[in-house]
Amino acid sequence: MTPLQGLLCGVLLLMALMAYTFWPVKAFASQRGKPRLEYLLERREELGESLRELDFDFRTGKFDEAEFQAQRARLKGEAARIEAEIDPLLQA
Amino acid sequence: MAAFGSFALLLALALAAYNLLAGALALRLIATGRPTAVSPERLAETARRAGIAGFAAVTAAAFALVWSVFANDFSITYIAEHSNRALPAIYKFSALWSGQEGSLLLWAWLLGAFGFVLRLQHRRDPKLYAYAGAILAGIQVFFLAVLNFAAPPFALLPDFVSGGFVPADGNGLNPLLQYPEMVIHPPLLYLGYVGFSVPFAFALGALMMRYPGEKWIKITRRWTMVTWLFLTAGIFLGMHWAYAVLGWGGYWGWDPVENASLMPWLTGTAFLHSVMMQEKRGMMKNWNLWLIFSTFLLTLLGTMLTRGGLVSSVHAFAASSIGYWFMAFMVIVLAVCLFTYILQRGHIESEEHLESIVSRESSFLFGTLVLLAACFVILWGTLFPILSEFVGGSKVEVGPAFYNGVAVPIGLFLLLLAGVGPLLPWRGTSLGGVRRNFVLPFIVFDSTAAVCLAVGVRPWKDGLFDRGSFYALVAFALAAGVLTALGSEFLRGMFVIAKQSGRNLAWAKLELIRRNPRRYGGYIVHIGVVIAAVGLAGAAFNRSVEGEMALHDRISIGPYTLECAGFTEDSNENYNSEYALLDVLKGGRKLFQMAPEKRVYLASGQPQTMVAIHSVPGWDLYVVYEGADPSTGQPIIKAFLNPLVSWIWAGALLMMLGTLVALVPGQKLAARKRFANTPATEEVFQP
Repeated sequence: MTPLQGLLCGVLLLMALMAYTFWPVKAFASQRGKPRLEYLLERREELGESLRELDFDFRTGKFDEAEFQAQRARLKGEAARIEAEIDPLLQA
Repeated sequence: MAAFGSFALLLALALAAYNLLAGALALRLIATGRPTAVSPERLAETARRAGIAGFAAVTAAAFALVWSVFANDFSITYIAEHSNRALPAIYKFSALWSGQEGSLLLWAWLLGAFGFVLRLQHRRDPKLYAYAGAILAGIQVFFLAVLNFAAPPFALLPDFVSGGFVPADGNGLNPLLQYPEMVIHPPLLYLGYVGFSVPFAFALGALMMRYPGEKWIKITRRWTMVTWLFLTAGIFLGMHWAYAVLGWGGYWGWDPVENASLMPWLTGTAFLHSVMMQEKRGMMKNWNLWLIFSTFLLTLLGTMLTRGGLVSSVHAFAASSIGYWFMAFMVIVLAVCLFTYILQRGHIESEEHLESIVSRESSFLFGTLVLLAACFVILWGTLFPILSEFVGGSKVEVGPAFYNGVAVPIGLFLLLLAGVGPLLPWRGTSLGGVRRNFVLPFIVFDSTAAVCLAVGVRPWKDGLFDRGSFYALVAFALAAGVLTALGSEFLRGMFVIAKQSGRNLAWAKLELIRRNPRRYGGYIVHIGVVIAAVGLAGAAFNRSVEGEMALHDRISIGPYTLECAGFTEDSNENYNSEYALLDVLKGGRKLFQMAPEKRVYLASGQPQTMVAIHSVPGWDLYVVYEGADPSTGQPIIKAFLNPLVSWIWAGALLMMLGTLVALVPGQKLAARKRFANTPATEEVFQP
């Protein structure tokens, strides 16, 4: 490939990439911030996973009954607080 | 092709710069809410598309370089210096990363590829992805600026520019790189280095935009694990290459470039563990940020050490000015990280604190501290020659004794934590819980130590304390204890599932992994680490013997006797070679023949050793043909008996398998999808 042919190929590449970059699109993603509800749903999901892991660890013998109940109550309490915040947001 | 390649690189730089500036401007306009003639969202979309287009342009440049290598275009300096006509096709391909300019182009191409995938997935969280995309574009601008102005891969030979002279043939590829593993080792390592840009970009972007929650960790978890997998594979392949090619009987020499790959691996491993605390409990946010910032900075340091010619190494290239470019970029990155952190630190207050010293969190914390300590020691040792020259005027090299003296005890402590962590539950446990979970591994630890002492693995030699044997004894005992701990974790889970489902244990094991691949994949990685540690401990018992061998001469090592059956020569268009043919006998009976080789490459005139290795689970018989003694003309053979080396490679494979298992979406993901009833994004329709 001669330098001229190389530059011609380069110009073709330039035109194709400029067209792709600046092509006027009709629809594109919103850049809105994450709503509180989305954050709470993520947190609720994480707590659900933690509860499932806790239950499984208890059944494998990692905890005794008292430890298990104390930790479960704490996680449940946190989940309840999050649910209380989620409900009005979902209704709204 | 040189003109096309250069043009494509320039175009890629312009697109990356547009991606960075337009992306940053759009995010600023969105943050301030200021009305503008062009919708900021539209501007952000053009920035995203410029990132994708930039990848196409870098791909075109990489294609042009590979094409020129195959076309033997020796008017290009890089190709004249790193290829020749007789070079086999597979090594012609690897010429892309065999020199400074080519490997920087590979960096830029991989970064473009990662950015391409990321930008295609932007709808998962457009704003966060826009921040991460702009940061990645900033990194890309740096690499493309270096490629365009400091280390251009398409620079023409001065003789060609002035008089149109093109050499008939090139200098050829460095013989050290003409080995099958070298075709994939550098790209894997680079995939590891470059990959850490992605979690870095997300972490910094999340901090800049005061991102609520920890979803960015979930988004980048797989990126980080895949990156870690590549880096692990790259490091172990490099070890295997050093073992099979360099001919000194070892696999890790604490070379600065080896260290440069290990440091981000250590901090990356710390990040992978520590970030789980943030994901699960909202803890350690500051710590995790700085872990990923440090990891990214260490990947830049590694690239600078490898390509900047700052240190003496078998891997490093001649001194060049790009070291200063990297230094300046690292200072800029550090300044941006510090500035953003100071500005936004109020956002990353931990939601919870460590509740108990006997918890999984504390084991992660200790583990990350120890990994960081190891990283700091290695960093200090690696940079000491540069610092000593800067301060005192003379370069003071740091040898393996320094690293081994510190790294081995740290490694043993990490081995202990690899077994302790999985046995501890989140949030804490009681003394009874500790007793219940740790008694069996502790018994196995003690029993193994006793058995090792009984069979001769003793921490003394000729009445004197022997540190190497002591460390090996501790490593073997710890390995047995940790394997028991991990095995018991699997077994207890399997029994629960088998009891629940009424199925057999084999099914229960698969079901256990399927339900929580991340946890049990992680345990498989830990088992791999233990197996590799056993292999590394075997080095305490390495033996070697060296001698001149005429026809039918014999040397003995361990259970083997090597008898010289002859010498032979061979040649092809790429190199000439000499072989020693050695019959290997055990108990007087011939088992097999080994043929260690010495090559001289025709294009470069450089010699290269090809080691002969016979590997069994217990040891490697490793034979080097060192060439003829100049005074006697007799061939010199050096033989090593290296115990347990194959365990290192087996451990590495298990680590990779475990990471692959951990990457599989488990039941949790399905549950997560069910939960995700609120869309994270919405379309903005413009008339």
